[in-house]
Amino acid sequence: MSGWARLRRGESTVDFVGHRRRWFTISAALLLLSLTSLGVRQLNLGIEFVGGLAMQSPNPAGAAVDEVRDVLADVGVAKATIQFLDDGASVRVTTPVLDEQTEDAAIEVLGAVTGAESGEVSIETVGPSFGALLVQRSLEALGFFLGAVVLYISWRLEFKMAVAGLAALTHDLAITVGVYAITGFPVTPATVVAVLIILGYSLYDTVVVFDKVEELVEVEEKKTYSEIVNQAMNSVLARSLATSLTSLLPVGSILFVGAFVLGAPTLRDFALALFVGIAAGTYSSIFVASPLLAFWKEREDEWMLRAERSRRRSGQARA
Amino acid sequence: MSETKTEVTRRVVGLLVLLAVAWGGVGAAIYFGLTPRLGLDLQGGTAVVLTAPEGTDRGLIEVATQIMTERIENFGEVQEPEISISGDDTVVVQLPGIEEEQRAIDAVGQTALLSFRPVLGAYLPEQAPLIGSEEPNIDPTTGLTIDDDLDSDSYLVYDEGLFTQVLHVGPAALIGEDVADALPLFDPNTGGWAVTLDLTGEGAEKFARLTAAAAGFPGNDPRRQIAIVLDGVVETSPPVALTVSPTTGITGGRAQITIGATEDAQVEANDLALVLRYGALPVDFEISAVQKVSGTLGADSLQSGIIAGLLGLALVAIVLLGFYRSLGLIAIIGLTVFGSLLVVSFALLGQWIGLTLTLAGVTGIIVSVGITTDSYIVFFERVKEKIRDGYDVVDAAAEGFKVAYRTIWAADTVSLLAAVLLLWRAVGAVKGFAMALLIATILDLVVAPLYTKRAVAILARTRLGTEGWLSIEGTAR
Repeated sequence: MSGWARLRRGESTVDFVGHRRRWFTISAALLLLSLTSLGVRQLNLGIEFVGGLAMQSPNPAGAAVDEVRDVLADVGVAKATIQFLDDGASVRVTTPVLDEQTEDAAIEVLGAVTGAESGEVSIETVGPSFGALLVQRSLEALGFFLGAVVLYISWRLEFKMAVAGLAALTHDLAITVGVYAITGFPVTPATVVAVLIILGYSLYDTVVVFDKVEELVEVEEKKTYSEIVNQAMNSVLARSLATSLTSLLPVGSILFVGAFVLGAPTLRDFALALFVGIAAGTYSSIFVASPLLAFWKEREDEWMLRAERSRRRSGQARA
Repeated sequence: MSETKTEVTRRVVGLLVLLAVAWGGVGAAIYFGLTPRLGLDLQGGTAVVLTAPEGTDRGLIEVATQIMTERIENFGEVQEPEISISGDDTVVVQLPGIEEEQRAIDAVGQTALLSFRPVLGAYLPEQAPLIGSEEPNIDPTTGLTIDDDLDSDSYLVYDEGLFTQVLHVGPAALIGEDVADALPLFDPNTGGWAVTLDLTGEGAEKFARLTAAAAGFPGNDPRRQIAIVLDGVVETSPPVALTVSPTTGITGGRAQITIGATEDAQVEANDLALVLRYGALPVDFEISAVQKVSGTLGADSLQSGIIAGLLGLALVAIVLLGFYRSLGLIAIIGLTVFGSLLVVSFALLGQWIGLTLTLAGVTGIIVSVGITTDSYIVFFERVKEKIRDGYDVVDAAAEGFKVAYRTIWAADTVSLLAAVLLLWRAVGAVKGFAMALLIATILDLVVAPLYTKRAVAILARTRLGTEGWLSIEGTAR
């Protein structure tokens, strides 16, 4: 039988727990890369968080959004938000804080492209629109959520699964944040949403996988915990593959078509974060959360005893 | 397994009804022009530019913008405003939607000045002492103050519901800034509603002085009352309780305003608490401009997003067909049911509570499509498992659903927890995402038993599901 057919039938025999060193090494390398780049490059916080500059200009020449964006990019203002006021009568451009030279150049090209007379382009600082209060409230909600999830998983499945699930979640978030650090994409409120999506997805996926483990624990009376986890992972492997494909395809399609073919940087940034986060979420349920859980559970008396018995049985069989 | 004909008929009818509701719903929504409201980033909206009086402290403006953020989301039907301080003394409030400019101005305009004032006298409207007066700031026909000033006496109208009075109030003793928090409270001892008031340290001292002075008057004297004034209108005017000592007043920075046990008391307590909490705007802004603004993402972004999303979904459909064959077909039809119900929900909630769809919401939906597809996959994998365990197709479908639905519930509960907690605490874009997640997760839980279970049960009894390469058994082998 081909590997593909075995996978489809849930009969593959990958040793997920036994090879945990390998998976942990991969994850550790990714985490190290993320944290290092975070330390070196830091996050590029968007205007919504740290504020920036707002330029406003009348628009007698009727310049289009793309034209304004292009001329600004030419003088080095890459991350500008462009809005028309009163159906295009004037233009409002919001940018991160610029150095004096770039600022002057931006005012000049903006005036040129809109046909505004000199002195008609105004510039002033803008404060963050996603300020401290919004950040604080979101973090509060997050804290409550994580607490509730630990309680819920402990009640519905078991406490150690909740901890393993949170470990996988931390892993996924660290990698996603690393992507933002490496690429230097601006962190916007949409990024916060992307992170929340990844958070939810990671836990969701872990619960689906652990639910299978818990089901097998109830019926398998002789197997060791590692064997049960391995069996559970192999039987959900087809599902995990199908699900990650169907979740990643729409996001991936937005990433490639939306960004590289049609050109929409906002979508590209967002989709990349989601793509990496969801991929990490699927990976970590199987390769981080599950081996971690098995490793920890094997240290419980009941399961050590069972492992001992299993070793003796296989010893007898060989003799 | 034998089944009566009525059971089969019931299942088919149930399925057709659901399809009619979902697809018909979308058709009706489009026919009546009821489409989801698009958010600020996608469609643009109205910008209201507010200017603070010259020399206003920067810290006060920051406090005011925070209060505005909360007020706009709590009071009005406006979701996901974007508020930022611009320059030294200007606040730009951007609100989604362009067609209701007046509503946007109202939503911001409600951010009024709150003050606590000593009551110096109460009169029937026709006996107001300043009727016919020629004082500059007094309307001679009603005897009321035209432009309320916090630093001087005013004659203000107080509509108590049953009857109306004119209150003569002194200069403000406390302003909104002095209020730390206010909450509605049900008092089980009296069976009535009240509002608890928490004051800041400075506010507590001022409040003690104000209430001590009022407590010096006898119980039925109007001067025992404290008027709570919002933008020149007396919101309420409770008397200081008889137990309060005229030497100390109400100390400790906590007070309780008794509302009563009437039917409307709960609503009244709620509204008053909101006014006390968020109406406490320390800055008297002037609206200096109202402008239409275009979306920041632009139509091109939205369009490419939609095209890419549809392409992605087409790929998902191919994967589902390849992996699950006729079951995949069920999933694809199910996704259109899910999508239709989602669009209808957003259109209706846009009408009812002003729910707007931003980029964040759209992405929430794309991801929720992934999660709802997973519900199908979890179910189908269980069916395959049961078939390999030796069940016949009909039983495998029924048994598989039972176990799968447990898993779906377990995992969806995590999403529900996230959505509810985010809705409760978060503001702005995060709230929009939470709403999308909540709706999608509920639909996922509803569609599974109403559509998926029935559709697979029907498929298991047709030739499509039992014969050839497309069959359910073919999927399992």
